[in-house]
Amino acid sequence: MVNKEVGGLAEMVRGRVVKRHEPAPGHVELWIHSPVLAKAIPGQFVHVATGGMLRRPISFSRLDHSAGTAAILFQIVGDGTRWLASVQEGVELDLMGPLGRGFAMPDPRHPWCLVGGGVGIPPLLAAATAWTPFLNEPPTVVLGARESALLLLEEEFRALGAAVEVTTDDGSQGQRGTVVGPLAHWLAKHPTGQVYACGPTPMLGAVARASQGQSNVWLALEQRMGCGVGACLACVVLANGQNGPVYRRVCTDGPVFAAEELIFE
Amino acid sequence: MNLEVQLPRGLRLQNPIIAASGTFGFGPEYASFVDIGALGAVSVKGVSPEPWPGNPPPRVWETPLGLLNSIGLQNHGVEVFCHQDLPFLRDTGTKVIVNIIGHTVEEYQRVAERLNAEKGVDALEVNISCPNIKEGGMSFGQEPDQAFAVVQAVRRVTDLPMMVKLSPNVTYPTVIAQAVEAAGADMISAINTVMGLAIDVKRRRPALGGITGGLSGPAVKPVALRIVYEVAQAVDIPIIGMGGINSALDVVEFLMAGAQAVMVGTVTFQYPNRMQEIIEALPAVLRSLQLNSLSETVGLALPGRVPLPPASEDAYE
Ligand SMILES: Cc1cc2nc3c(=O)[nH]c(=O)nc-3n(C[C@H](O)[C@H](O)[C@H](O)COP(=O)(O)OP(=O)(O)OC[C@H]3O[C@@H](n4cnc5c(N)ncnc54)[C@H](O)[C@@H]3O)c2cc1C
Ligand SMILES: Cc1cc2nc3c(=O)[nH]c(=O)nc-3n(C[C@H](O)[C@H](O)[C@H](O)COP(=O)(O)O)c2cc1C
Ligand code: FES
Repeated sequence: MVNKEVGGLAEMVRGRVVKRHEPAPGHVELWIHSPVLAKAIPGQFVHVATGGMLRRPISFSRLDHSAGTAAILFQIVGDGTRWLASVQEGVELDLMGPLGRGFAMPDPRHPWCLVGGGVGIPPLLAAATAWTPFLNEPPTVVLGARESALLLLEEEFRALGAAVEVTTDDGSQGQRGTVVGPLAHWLAKHPTGQVYACGPTPMLGAVARASQGQSNVWLALEQRMGCGVGACLACVVLANGQNGPVYRRVCTDGPVFAAEELIFE
Repeated sequence: MNLEVQLPRGLRLQNPIIAASGTFGFGPEYASFVDIGALGAVSVKGVSPEPWPGNPPPRVWETPLGLLNSIGLQNHGVEVFCHQDLPFLRDTGTKVIVNIIGHTVEEYQRVAERLNAEKGVDALEVNISCPNIKEGGMSFGQEPDQAFAVVQAVRRVTDLPMMVKLSPNVTYPTVIAQAVEAAGADMISAINTVMGLAIDVKRRRPALGGITGGLSGPAVKPVALRIVYEVAQAVDIPIIGMGGINSALDVVEFLMAGAQAVMVGTVTFQYPNRMQEIIEALPAVLRSLQLNSLSETVGLALPGRVPLPPASEDAYE
């Protein structure tokens, strides 16, 4: 299975920041007015100019068609995100998007589970918000963070009626350990379940291993990017090709891939 | 102002701005961001006879005013290129330059020969920065004899306009330039990326999966200008200049150093429509420098050309 989902047509857009919020230490969420980006599919991303040589890819945490806004939630890890974090309400951003293939909507006949770690959590909120009204059951959500203070968006998922399970590395909230424990437990109970995961690459590798044999497991990957549109071949990950391993592009073949497509070393 | 550029073997560009190989994919990728038909030409990503896998990621790393890349020439091979990409490019109306690569002289020849069968290829750009696996892996572009051999071999099988792309990672680019001119090159494009390295201190190892990488962007512009300036004095064939071009003023610098046209690469990642902006700005920038055509600008800064007389003492800027 490969991800055939495509999103809205990408454009160069200027979007004004209409709201700014710091949900956790070192994390910022910006709401941007842009009807073009608001039409994105959850799992797609926007390529943001931040003054360096390259744009920075960030996924959407919220997509509101009627308000014409899209939000991004990011962690400050370097110069680009530090610059972006300094942006205040009213500032206009130079953006390219929506880009990439997003998540395909779950099959309503089967249960679904969202698995997010760290700044992998935000795109799953966009997915949960978009899909819950159309599905029979709200999702099961497994969230992971280093510590309680860094856990993102838990209340937002609960407000959608999701059953939320929390894991932290240090045990300061929820179960001590990683998201893989609760996920394996859920999969054992729901053999036809559909899984949507986003987080650090080692976590996604663990999700892929825990769900081996399952065919509806979708992973949203990160990789260092250049162009963001498939032209430079910078953003590749190792995947199964017809004649052995091939490199595929996160920006245009992904960022959402079927777990069975990928090879984790 | 007429921006047309007339190059050898009937290659005519509507303007001197060309998308640089490897930064504009195989054609369709930037279609929703750039009016491809408005560009002077597009040089596609390097194409080999068979698919090449490329290097392990990470493949790009930002450096001060530069970009270090180790893509490793990943491409799906000339067959897929001809079926999947070429028809699209042909329809855009821009000139199509196919950047060709190989591991042996015969591989270069095979790609060139395969392209003879296709409509819509306007020129070849021979990328001689590939390692020659039969000769110990040093790149063809590093050694005048190797460069001569590969260019002569491609010349034997093609009548297309052919430019040869120089590597800056040599002691005397002029010697390589003279070798490829003697082997039958119609034009020279310069420069390819400058070899470099970055360290990822968190992982305590070289940052790129391919260990070393090629530096591009504004950081390399002075290196590129120096090489264009030297090569322009060493050969009689036209030069297509590149390396760190971000603006119309940068283009004028390359023209004055002796280039007839330019390629624009890294800046496209950040600003996809920058090439169009440059095309639109170029006439006004030239006029602001009291220049009325491209042709009178080319080579103005070369030795022996008459510089502008010094302003008289009572003139105000
Ligand atoms: C499709 C996609 C979606 C993403 N979504 C989010 C998100 O919703 N929230 C969030 O906080 N982060 C997200 N990231 C990661 C984010 O792009 C990086 O944290 C950011 O680019 C770092 O930039 P910097 O200048 O602050 O850091 P620096 O380390 O100074 O960046 C230097 C270079 O490395 C790249 N880079 C650094 N870390 C990463 C990384 N983990 N992944 C990809 N490129 C990286 C940068 O883009 C830049 O080119 C996403 C990445 C991708 C590929
Ligand atoms: C990501 C990337 C990929 C490249 N791939 C190729 C290639 O396949 N063949 C080639 O001849 N040059 C390649 N180049 C070199 C560029 O064509 C150009 O020579 C160089 O980047 C300098 O121009 P710039 O500073 O405007 O980018 C590549 C450059 C970059 C940044
Ligand atoms: S970032 Fe250029 S191909 Fe993906």
